[in-house]
Amino acid sequence: MDAVIEKTAIPASANGKTQLMQESSDEMIEISAVSKTYNTSQRGSHLALDDVNLTIKEGQFVSILGPSGCGKSTLLYMVGGFVDVSAGSIKVKGAPVTGPGPDRGPVFQEFALFPWKTVLENVMYGPLEQGMPKKDAIARARELLTLVHLSKFENFYPKELSGGMKQRVALARTLAYKPSILLMDEPFGALDAYTRTRLQNELLDIWERDRKTVMFITHSVEEAVFLSDRVYVMTPSPGHIRKVYDIDLPRPRIRSDLLLDRRYQDYVVSIERLMDEQDKEP
Amino acid sequence: MARLLSLPGIPPLLACLGLLVVWDILARVFMISGLAPPLEALGQIPGILSDPEALINIADSLKRMAIGFVLALAVAMPIGLWMGRSRLAAAFFNPLFMVIYPVPKAALMPIIMLWLGVGDASKVLVIFLGVSLPVVYHSFQGARAVEEKMLWSAAAMGVGPVGRMLRIVLPTTMPEIMVGCRTGLVLALITMVTSEMIARQTGIGNIFFTALDMAQYNDVYAMIIIIGILGFVCDWAFEAVRRWLVSWADSAHEIAVGSA
Repeated sequence: MDAVIEKTAIPASANGKTQLMQESSDEMIEISAVSKTYNTSQRGSHLALDDVNLTIKEGQFVSILGPSGCGKSTLLYMVGGFVDVSAGSIKVKGAPVTGPGPDRGPVFQEFALFPWKTVLENVMYGPLEQGMPKKDAIARARELLTLVHLSKFENFYPKELSGGMKQRVALARTLAYKPSILLMDEPFGALDAYTRTRLQNELLDIWERDRKTVMFITHSVEEAVFLSDRVYVMTPSPGHIRKVYDIDLPRPRIRSDLLLDRRYQDYVVSIERLMDEQDKEP
Repeated sequence: MARLLSLPGIPPLLACLGLLVVWDILARVFMISGLAPPLEALGQIPGILSDPEALINIADSLKRMAIGFVLALAVAMPIGLWMGRSRLAAAFFNPLFMVIYPVPKAALMPIIMLWLGVGDASKVLVIFLGVSLPVVYHSFQGARAVEEKMLWSAAAMGVGPVGRMLRIVLPTTMPEIMVGCRTGLVLALITMVTSEMIARQTGIGNIFFTALDMAQYNDVYAMIIIIGILGFVCDWAFEAVRRWLVSWADSAHEIAVGSA
């Protein structure tokens, strides 16, 4: 293990702020100097996020990696417009975020499916809300259910599905209204290891079709490296960007190939090392 | 025998028969005039149900019960949902309802009669109060438990605040609201009878307490049985409506397995 670490070059990484200055103007999401303070009645005010700067380019798959409680999900909620920022600004396609919108489609760890709607009706909900005629919405929903391999389950209710199937429905439901950005909040965090791996592969297959911009929250190093073009590593609470890794691995990515790929191993090992160091810091 | 017992209607039927047998034994052993034997009580039922005046009384009662119940739903459901989604509304209404909940609504009847007289209005109001509280309480609990992220998902699709309340919070809360309605229905029946006991003009309670005053114990027990059957029929009808409304919440199928 030591030998591996010695040879590891930290690849293409830079401090968050220097990175920001190098960006050109094709940014899809720009988070500048964002902080989040929660006021709790028991413990007074609590700083959850501290001066976060990051950018995501159009068509980029970017992961935010950090330990539990570092505020990484809060960051995603703020991009989604579900939670307000306390300081700083978030821009999507150059315009400040003022609330939720169909250009940013969330997929949550908790699935958040509508329990009184069937699988098909869940997926139709967004298109109908966007004013699509019912016939077209059904066709669109069926197309997406085929994409996530759930055609046979269109008349099931969410409670009749397994976790992996629920998350596939949630992904299809979000893709159905064609958001230009996918906001994925630890989407595979509640799934068993086998299902998790399968869904990571399926997500990449789907993503390869049109390469939407993805902001992906996770605490799994392997997951972040496997999926992403870029990984932002956050410090424990209060969350702050610690380091940026540009993941220079060929696409389409095939897990069994990557596992043998020295560059993949190097990324994983150096990020793991960084996170170990963070744990030991006071 | 075991197969016979497993038929759906058999165990409750046996329970009813058992009750009648125990009742009959007690009536024979103690020979109290106030405890009529079951067969004599049952014998009075056809007579009561074929008497037009009695039927008008029963219809009056049911009408008041229905009005009180529907009004209570119309008011209590929105308040409960609102409390569930607004901390301010919860902080405002919760202490109020906590105080009112344990007060027996029928005990308010004399006061209400001072305001509204002995007619339908007082009785409907008492039924309304009886039904409202469990419905408020369950709507509140249900709405509070709605997953925030479900509302966010809808917001991202473009559903506005009013739409989220009516089209996300309401249906999600429906199973819990139904639990409150079921309790409310039983309370409606109870408050209906007691209100008629206090303000005696028409209704099931009127027949019941008039018979009691005149020591017609066979009729009294016949009325008890009729009220019991009424409650059973209401509950059965309600369960049918509930199942139709929120079948999605009942586990109809096995969890689909195979495709992870």
